[in-house]
Amino acid sequence: MSFQNLVKPSSAIANYLKNGKIKNYFSTVLWTFTSIAIFVSLWEFAWWQGWANPILLPPPHIFLSNLSDQFRFFDPGGTRAGALSTGGSFLSVLGVMGWSSLRVSAGLASGFILSLLIGLGIRYFNIFGRLILPLVTMLAPISPVAWIPVAVFIFGIGNIPAIFLVFVAVFFIMTLATLSQIDNVPKNYIQLAQIMGCSKRQIYRYVILPTILPELFVTLRMNLFAAWMVVLIAEAVGVGSGLGQVTMMARNTFNASLVFFTMTLIGLTGFLFDQALRYVQKKVLWWVGPSTVGAL
Amino acid sequence: MYRKKCFGGLVPLPLGLYDMTLGLKIKNISKTWNPDSVNPVVALKNINLDVALGEFVVLLGPSGCGKSSLLYILAGLEDASRGVAEFDGRQIVKPSPERGLIFQEASLYPWLTVKDNITFGLKISGLSASKKEAAAEKLLKLVGLKGTGDQRPHQLSGGMRQRAALARALAMEPKVLLMDEPFAALDIQTRSRMQTHLLDIWQASQASILLVTHSIDEALALADRVIVFTSRPGKIKDEIIVNEARPRDLRSPKMIKLARRCEELLAEEVEKAFKEQETA
Ligand SMILES: Nc1ncnc2c1ncn2[C@@H]1O[C@H](COP(=O)(O)OP(=O)(O)OP(=O)(O)O)[C@@H](O)[C@H]1O
Ligand SMILES: [Mg+2]
Repeated sequence: MSFQNLVKPSSAIANYLKNGKIKNYFSTVLWTFTSIAIFVSLWEFAWWQGWANPILLPPPHIFLSNLSDQFRFFDPGGTRAGALSTGGSFLSVLGVMGWSSLRVSAGLASGFILSLLIGLGIRYFNIFGRLILPLVTMLAPISPVAWIPVAVFIFGIGNIPAIFLVFVAVFFIMTLATLSQIDNVPKNYIQLAQIMGCSKRQIYRYVILPTILPELFVTLRMNLFAAWMVVLIAEAVGVGSGLGQVTMMARNTFNASLVFFTMTLIGLTGFLFDQALRYVQKKVLWWVGPSTVGAL
Repeated sequence: MYRKKCFGGLVPLPLGLYDMTLGLKIKNISKTWNPDSVNPVVALKNINLDVALGEFVVLLGPSGCGKSSLLYILAGLEDASRGVAEFDGRQIVKPSPERGLIFQEASLYPWLTVKDNITFGLKISGLSASKKEAAAEKLLKLVGLKGTGDQRPHQLSGGMRQRAALARALAMEPKVLLMDEPFAALDIQTRSRMQTHLLDIWQASQASILLVTHSIDEALALADRVIVFTSRPGKIKDEIIVNEARPRDLRSPKMIKLARRCEELLAEEVEKAFKEQETA
């Protein structure tokens, strides 16, 4: 126990250095850039050699060179997107990314919370479970794309159908994941709680919920990319603004530069999103279940 | 918090002096796992055993003879197939804080600090925050974990975790502690420290302890009575009374004799189990 006194951190920085955190961080950044650089240089090389047609496959230095020309297609409101010559600004690009991100966030958050509640309810209330579980299992395999017409019929055009589609993309999978997590709570966690005098409600609240949350959050992160794919489709079809709408417009006008520029933005936003979720997971749900010691 | 020392000295009472109306009464218990399947496992057969209030009883037996099953039944986590178990005259039907159970591997909740783990049961029973805090300090000191209350379980060593689990059980002021090979995963030195510690706590608390172990030395160092089980289906083979002051010198002629006796009893059973496997 005296060992603990020895390793008491004298300063945060010393601790950082000792753990090699800074070094780790830099090496991660370095590898990320190298990875992108290899991809970009292969592409540029193909263009230089004349293998890639600059009209159809413009390399990064082309579609990233004329930014203001790209910016004018971005309009967060979606009203003047398209053939404008006055053009948007850098802010309007951020606005478009922000709107798409908001739709994804709203869909993810509502899907996560509701799937958790329904999953817990299915296991907690026997009759409710028997009634709901078959339904969930039947709806789960239906692709969110198949829900698009339904979303438009019910919610019309706008933000709500896009959010709804993201919700659908995560809700059913997450409900089933919640059930499997509940069933895998270590038996002695629950037995201990019983010995301590916990009621069923207390066991769910104080033992089962904290046990399953970290794993479920990992599942949510894995479904993040699916949610992004869905929101892009939803925006292209039923919203009239957002990154998905810009991609669709670029496709319709054969603007290859704009296609690749938007794809770059999508990749970037998705990456940042994943980083943000990682951060939340680390801060809020720092404990890990027995099986999540790995890289996630 | 703990009831006053009752038996004062370090000498266990002669059996007749324990109050046998209180404590655990195991009446003719049998346990069959998966009784309706193709190959039911008869784990326990006709177990009769009383553990008096304040007594320290150790169960010793070959692997798989049903010792853990018996503890689970006494904790109220599993039902017996036949027979009844009583505690203080009432039949055991469900888990209760008065019968604490300590698992082989200390399963602390990873999302709680050590302190919150220890006072988990107190929180459930609705104790105020300040009282909980005071209890935590006392318990941490009792098991020698002072100053580690704010750490997370994964920061503790195996022995410290096992002590935290002990503190968590003690927090409920149990009348009987059921311990399933609590020190099996520890090295010999830590183990003997923990044994001494457990004896101190036991003497201060007047609780009964029913402890399962594979180790003859551990059994003889701790027990008032050692109950030796047969191989599966588990029956009580013999009972060895260790009438010796603690701390015990396991190298004294008397203890060596008792150890020999235990070894013989166990060897017979292991032999039997192997023979059965060969013929099967
Ligand atoms: N939950 C269970 N379901 C089915 N069979 C079980 C269960 N628990 C134990 N058994 C069986 O009952 C028998 C006795 O098991 P038990 O764990 O009680 O033995 P033990 O004496 O504690 O053994 P060990 O010393 O190895 O821990 C074993 O054959 C085991 O396979
Ligand atoms: Mg066992």
